[in-house]
Amino acid sequence: MKKWLTTISTVTLAGSLLAGCGGNEKAGSGTEASGDQPAGKEVTIKIMNFKVEVAEQFNRLKDEYEKTHPGVKLQVDTVLGGDDYNTQLKARFASGEMPDIFNNEGYNQMDAWLEYLEDLSDQPWVQNEIDLAKEPTTRDGKVYGMPVGLEGLGFLYNKDLFEQAGITELPKTLSQLEAVAEKLQAAGIQPFVNTYDTWFGLGFHNLNNAFAKQPDPNAFIKGLNDGTAKISDNVIFKDWTHLFDVAIKYGNKNALTTDYNTASTLFATGKGAMNQSGNWLQPVLDKLNPGMNVGILPMPINDDPALNDKLFVGPSNNWVVYKDSPVKKEAKEFLNWLVSSETGQKYLTKEFKFIPAFTNIKTDPADLGSIGADVLKYIEEGKVLGWHWAKYPDGAAPEFGSSMQKYIVGKINAVQMLGEFQSAWDKMKSR
Amino acid sequence: MRRWLTSQTMQQSVFVGPALLVYAAIMVLPLLLGIYYSFSDWNGVSSHIDWVGLKNYKTIFTDDPGFGRSFWFTARFTVSVVIISNAIGFAIAYVLSKPLKTRNMLRTVFFMPNVLGGLLLGFIWQFIFTRSFSAIGQATDIGFFNLSWLGTEATAFWALVIVSVWQGAGYLMVIYIAGLTNVPSDMLEAASIDGATGMQTLRHIVLPLIMPAVTICLFLSISWAFKSFDLNFSLTQGGPYKSTESVAMNIYYEAFKSNRYGLGTAKAVIFFVVVTVITMIQLSMTKKKEVEM
Repeated sequence: MKKWLTTISTVTLAGSLLAGCGGNEKAGSGTEASGDQPAGKEVTIKIMNFKVEVAEQFNRLKDEYEKTHPGVKLQVDTVLGGDDYNTQLKARFASGEMPDIFNNEGYNQMDAWLEYLEDLSDQPWVQNEIDLAKEPTTRDGKVYGMPVGLEGLGFLYNKDLFEQAGITELPKTLSQLEAVAEKLQAAGIQPFVNTYDTWFGLGFHNLNNAFAKQPDPNAFIKGLNDGTAKISDNVIFKDWTHLFDVAIKYGNKNALTTDYNTASTLFATGKGAMNQSGNWLQPVLDKLNPGMNVGILPMPINDDPALNDKLFVGPSNNWVVYKDSPVKKEAKEFLNWLVSSETGQKYLTKEFKFIPAFTNIKTDPADLGSIGADVLKYIEEGKVLGWHWAKYPDGAAPEFGSSMQKYIVGKINAVQMLGEFQSAWDKMKSR
Repeated sequence: MRRWLTSQTMQQSVFVGPALLVYAAIMVLPLLLGIYYSFSDWNGVSSHIDWVGLKNYKTIFTDDPGFGRSFWFTARFTVSVVIISNAIGFAIAYVLSKPLKTRNMLRTVFFMPNVLGGLLLGFIWQFIFTRSFSAIGQATDIGFFNLSWLGTEATAFWALVIVSVWQGAGYLMVIYIAGLTNVPSDMLEAASIDGATGMQTLRHIVLPLIMPAVTICLFLSISWAFKSFDLNFSLTQGGPYKSTESVAMNIYYEAFKSNRYGLGTAKAVIFFVVVTVITMIQLSMTKKKEVEM
């Protein structure tokens, strides 16, 4: 059984390889004709980028890299992260068009791909990597990924609108947040712009709050997996529903059909004062409304200021290298260049606005934009909590998102919602 | 020698062989592979595959309300779309087979939505439902436009039905027109001389004579609606809260997003069997009603 299967897949793979070669040859002869490069030695590194927000900047980086590294071409494809990225990656894998460098979130997300990832432990940048960023892609003491950058998640807020409503002190607890929302509403300003149309904004970013604020999130998740912990009777989860209530109550109409682009536009044009997002939105805001006066707030779930004055910071994603790539040497060189060369560092911080996950990269808060500068401050003060959604069982987050949507329209109550989370977790972990 | 060349076997393999080979490679082989994977725990990328027997099927039948829910949605969706799109398709075809001045133009107009792909159509209608409708609603204060069309279970369902009917009816119209033009005019004339009313002619002469077209249209619309994926994917993303998730989408999410290729293919196999049985029943039922001239 196994044998004929392998034969068939080998034949198909070989076929697609042949097809791939054909394509490359054509591309190669094209450049030869234009006379830019000496024939023969040219290699192409295929990169699949998940950050739509930096697609343009990435193309500029590509030009600079190609200028300083003759014979190496970068081919950058950008696919929206979160939802479609992994499906696209699988499609390319199946057709033998695997990119040489791609993204992986680490933790459970790395399980499927682990056997195809190059061990990067011997790379020079590993020693400069900060610990927070190392955890997701470290398995059995080996490092498989290079963090793209750190990102902070919270409520973005429009400083001008806050001022307009007469808000002088930033909210640190849930009651303060609700008071702020009331003040904004009284001043005729929409307090929250919510985008509740996709499961990943809800199941990943929103619900992470409740996982991250557990006294020990990893122990809690382990407890969920072996049945000793329960979401349904967890105090932090109950508190989190109160924050969710506030955001819904003071949110925009039709949040269930407001998509990411619409919400970002509403927020950037001042049609709402707060938006659950992170510093990744900075390049988008810069484009829609240059010079927008914006900062980031924590997402308080109760009235304990020590617990709540924290942002959720994690490595946004990681670059990983395909083990069987013919250009993996060049791919590793590119990754190293990105974090060690001056140009690469400049792009990471100034252009992509990523908060570096390496101690050797010095950042000027002004380069990151105002959101990034706020996040950097929280990181420096150590007021950070982690990102935990990559530790959920596969398929649990869409279920969480769907239960949350039911709650938003009032189809189920808070107790039922937490009950559904629990049964989704139990169901998905056992599959 | 000659005899061998012109033998039945030789003829069959020369004329049918190439097509059969292609069909086997791109249809039969993946189907068989899919059945094999449905008994495994493959995650879609790993190089080792473990045989798990009937475990996936057991999971689907005992522990997967999501699959049942998407099946129920797809069934309701199919019934609505098949009835409405065939009724509208036939009505348009009937009107447009009358000698009207603008009929060629109108035929083109009604067929047009079918030229656009489902994905694109979904995005266009998403814009219409979320932006245009709310703008009209704000301006005119008519309740119909002020509904959150994609935001509630019932309206999202009907939004999908509306768009599918709008897309499919034009295609069915073309088939019905072809059927209607083949109805011999001497029969219609004879009927009118005998004093049959328009309704009677339609019911007892036209309908029986275009039954082959009805068979095809029912078959097409059933299989479209059952396999619907791209429209749900772009218009509602299966939302709100997965209430408009079709079976095809459920399978896609299971196999590719949740990394459970084995379980996903098991669902696909069940789906394949159900669709096959339903279309076979439909074909044999409508075939019986066809009359030979």
